[in-house]
Amino acid sequence: MTVELLSANHGAALAATQAARANRKGRGFCSGVYPITPSTECMEYLCQQKIEKGRVIRVESEHSAMGVCIGAASAGARTFTATSSNGLAYMFENCIAAASLRLPVVLAVANRTLGPPWNIWADHGDALTLRDHGLIQFYCADNQELFDSVLAAFRLAEDRRVMMPAMVNMEGFILSHTVAQTQIPDQGQVDDFLPLTDVPQRLGVAPHTLGQIEIPHQTEMHRWQHHLAMLEVSKVYAEIQNEFEAIFGRRLLDAVVAYRAEDADTLIVSMGTIGATAERVVDKLRAEGRRLGALRVRLFRPLPTDAIRAAYAGKKRIAVIDRDISLGLGGVLWAETSSLAEPGTVMQNYVAGLGGGDVRPEHIVKMLDDLRRREISGAPALMEAV
Amino acid sequence: MEYKYPADSSVTAASIPLPVGLTLPLEVRVHGRGGQGGVTCAKLIAALFTQMGLHVQTFGDYGSERSGAPVQAYTRVDRSAIGNRNKVYRPNHLIVLDEGLMGAQVLEGAAPGSLLLLNTHASLESYAARFEHYRFGVIDATAIAREQGIGSSSVVIINTTILGAYARLLGLPLTVLEKAYTSLGLGGDLVAAQHAYEQVRVCEAVQGNDGPGVSAPAISPLAVGTMLGHSTDIPASLRTGSWSNQAPVYSEHSAPCNLACPAGNDVVGFIQALKNESVQEAAAILLRTQPLPSVCGRVCPAPCMQACNREAFDGAVNIRSLERWIADHSQLELKPQTAQQPLRVAVIGGGPAGLSAAYQLALHGHAVTIFEAGPALGGVLRNGVPAFRLPHEVLGRDVERILKLGVEARCNSRLGQDDLLRLRNDFDAVIVCVGFGPALDLATKGENLDGVEQGLDFLDRVKRGGVSLHGNVVVIGGGNTAIDCARSALRCGAASVKIVYRRSRKDMPAIAEEIEDAEREGVQLLPYRQPVEFTGSGIVSAGVIAEVEAGPPDASGCRRPVVTERTSTLACDKVLLALGQKSELDLLPENWTVRDGRAWQGDQLLPVWFAGDCATGDGTVTHAIGNGRRAALAVLNGEAVSGEALVKRVAPGQIRFSHFDVAPPRRDKQLSPSALGGNFDEVNLGLAGPDEAGRCFSCGHCTHCDTCLISCPDGVIVRSADGYRIDGDYCKGCGMCVAECPRSAMEMQEKNHEVRP
Repeated sequence: MTVELLSANHGAALAATQAARANRKGRGFCSGVYPITPSTECMEYLCQQKIEKGRVIRVESEHSAMGVCIGAASAGARTFTATSSNGLAYMFENCIAAASLRLPVVLAVANRTLGPPWNIWADHGDALTLRDHGLIQFYCADNQELFDSVLAAFRLAEDRRVMMPAMVNMEGFILSHTVAQTQIPDQGQVDDFLPLTDVPQRLGVAPHTLGQIEIPHQTEMHRWQHHLAMLEVSKVYAEIQNEFEAIFGRRLLDAVVAYRAEDADTLIVSMGTIGATAERVVDKLRAEGRRLGALRVRLFRPLPTDAIRAAYAGKKRIAVIDRDISLGLGGVLWAETSSLAEPGTVMQNYVAGLGGGDVRPEHIVKMLDDLRRREISGAPALMEAV
Repeated sequence: MEYKYPADSSVTAASIPLPVGLTLPLEVRVHGRGGQGGVTCAKLIAALFTQMGLHVQTFGDYGSERSGAPVQAYTRVDRSAIGNRNKVYRPNHLIVLDEGLMGAQVLEGAAPGSLLLLNTHASLESYAARFEHYRFGVIDATAIAREQGIGSSSVVIINTTILGAYARLLGLPLTVLEKAYTSLGLGGDLVAAQHAYEQVRVCEAVQGNDGPGVSAPAISPLAVGTMLGHSTDIPASLRTGSWSNQAPVYSEHSAPCNLACPAGNDVVGFIQALKNESVQEAAAILLRTQPLPSVCGRVCPAPCMQACNREAFDGAVNIRSLERWIADHSQLELKPQTAQQPLRVAVIGGGPAGLSAAYQLALHGHAVTIFEAGPALGGVLRNGVPAFRLPHEVLGRDVERILKLGVEARCNSRLGQDDLLRLRNDFDAVIVCVGFGPALDLATKGENLDGVEQGLDFLDRVKRGGVSLHGNVVVIGGGNTAIDCARSALRCGAASVKIVYRRSRKDMPAIAEEIEDAEREGVQLLPYRQPVEFTGSGIVSAGVIAEVEAGPPDASGCRRPVVTERTSTLACDKVLLALGQKSELDLLPENWTVRDGRAWQGDQLLPVWFAGDCATGDGTVTHAIGNGRRAALAVLNGEAVSGEALVKRVAPGQIRFSHFDVAPPRRDKQLSPSALGGNFDEVNLGLAGPDEAGRCFSCGHCTHCDTCLISCPDGVIVRSADGYRIDGDYCKGCGMCVAECPRSAMEMQEKNHEVRP
């Protein structure tokens, strides 16, 4: 194990590289990549690695990049790619193809708001466009978590009971370009952690078609199967947490990460790096006597409804901070989890950091002051990150 | 479910102690310009602190600007894992890589007592008063880094240098930088760091209550902040032009037509004048160098058209016919200058070279006398070029224009050696333009039979009128004279005309359009053939023609024609020889020699010049015209005859074809007479109008098309007086204007950056 000073982008690429090497005795690794700010650094790093029985192909578009990954996984190889924002949008139909064909693809997304008008900075809007289409989604808050999650994503996506793409999100620039000390395991440990890729429906000796035409009832069954498989993910993930800890000596974070939440009466809920800022606010205000806690949703799809419901129980007020907005409704996390709170809870949505604004502790304090004055839930509020 | 921070195995054991007095958490903010290495600077600082067993975090604040734009980078250091995800708003340490950025925005959030390290050429004293509340250091990192060759001379990378000063300010030994630099492959820069370590000058903070407090700028609610509003450290008054290290300039380049013209005409100039101004303006430009535009507009081989860049697009501009249009449709009164000291110059020979020399001298206000052997002026234009290519009155028009300048012409004056000696004494200068010598023979059996005639003699007789032929005519040769003979022979009554040439059609030196005209009129080409004998009793009746092969390549790679034994007999009633001419200067006195176009008597240079075919043997009217002009200018300036200077010729690849619509060249209107017999009317009627001028790209010369102005992404190009003005304060040197200029009339030039105090 070594400690390296790496950006999260490079960390993701390094994790993918180690995972790739771990499949050298299997069908190897093949990846299609295309650059886009702020994920470019990730594919650049990957392109420079030497991978035994591996190929990284620079294609002409993100759509083709995922196309290559679909081809690779269909042939039984391990695969990975990275993108952001409009690149993900361009990749869209192929992401759905990968998911519906139940292929294990690990996708690192450096979240960036969609455009035009062009904006290179972070919000979660890009990843959330794929919310409903059967890809697993993680949202990370620091470099180590990101590295570990990418590694674990291969294990999770390739598990027989799961078999679907896994997306690991890091906010563009805020996390993707931040350099911090990251523990990097030995290749031997990664070899132990990741079994060889084994895609049941892979193209092999007997030719067959992947992705045929189907009649309504077949679609119905396939979608439901996919849904049920997603519901299995939490169970599989818990097993992986144990395996990870046994091999690497540290534990993967849970699907939701609670911070001083048990005896809190007010909860701040968020995804990604805003969660880290929320924890700083919790510490600051706890010192002033307020019973505050934070909940960071790390696994967004499948949504860990039980864990969230348990965390919401007994809270009087909940501030859900969304670095995203479903236009015409409000923040996505708020909309999805509102029903998980006990009746009578004041559930207030604060949309903050759209387009990459720097959400600071003082913004969260302002949100809490606002929340404190509310007796009933109100419409989603915009907190300008200026 | 409780959150656990990652175990402290993320840090390595401390190998260096903490600097004395350092408080944690530490926040460092670096301000720089893109290209100076600001982000890596912050990363190096992080790498430095990892050696103290501390947690670090470092990142840049990226915008959509590139090299030269203001950039910030941050580093945090703490004993425990760092959860702060925001930018650094309250730096403990401020490092400023470019003093041009110094201002309230840079200092924002820095409390009194903070450390401020500035890269500057200026002295500590000049800043001390402004920053007395900070622990302040200055170092000329740019000078050190430039000297060490880190980066380029215009974009110097100073990160590794300034950190030497930083280490000194922290009270750390210089050696602590070694590991950090080596880990990022920058070990070679340690020398620069050492210089900075030694040279940094420090001023301790003055203790005081009032710090330079700066409040954040207010942004009104619901107003959409501007791009500038997002990053509050970019003042609108920042002169973005100072970031660039290259700038565009308007710069003329040589048009290939101008370079190709043997007469040195400003081709692009007269075409653009015809297009934009008037035929009179165009004529004024053309007549500066061209005394015989009506002639060249009809008979010049037009190397300008072969060089024309439009040929690589949709077809060369029909330049020859545009010159003809100008000659035929303008009426320019030429006014000769008044010379301060008028010279008296004798020109021997009234052909194109002599006429051109006389013209230039007369235009400059000098007295010229032309001595012409024949009964009238013109030389080969009068005697050689057939009327159906160059009508009599057309030549007369051009000659009249020359004579109107005051040139004296003495015809029927064939001169010999004694005359030349006399003229040399009677005149201030003599220019000899006698053209080629006698025509070349075939040296073949039967060449002396009647009916075998030199082509030039035939053409002369035809021009004087009353020549009639009958039967089969054979012309030997492949140049313009051969074509002229063939087409004239048809008009004189020949039943058939064949041209026999020893190489291929492609190798024929005649103008391509003339060969096509000849074929259209019924002339038959026999390439790869050569006569080896003429037979007949008294008068020629047949020629023995042998096949010719291209032989093996010689030393220069040329394949010399080899006459084979395979022959056939061609019945003919007339043979015309057009094999070229030799150079001969039989009027040269015996003890004179000619060197570089000047006459020498022993080692004495004489005021006698030679111009045209007798000097250079180029063999075209246009070369003779150019040569004659240069000889005249040489007489006036006393300098040797020289060619045009080449200034960055515009290649086809430098023209932006995508800016032009496809438009094939306008073709000349041709007469196709059903019966040629006796018909010497001009066959080529020229263009229907001057629109062809619109197809000229104007290679290398600005036409004020505004493409640069429209392409500029910053809108810093405006129309001004006689062209354009580029605002250097805001031009970032992107080069789009230069790249988009359709005609290569601009260049990018490097700016030299000096460090200004």
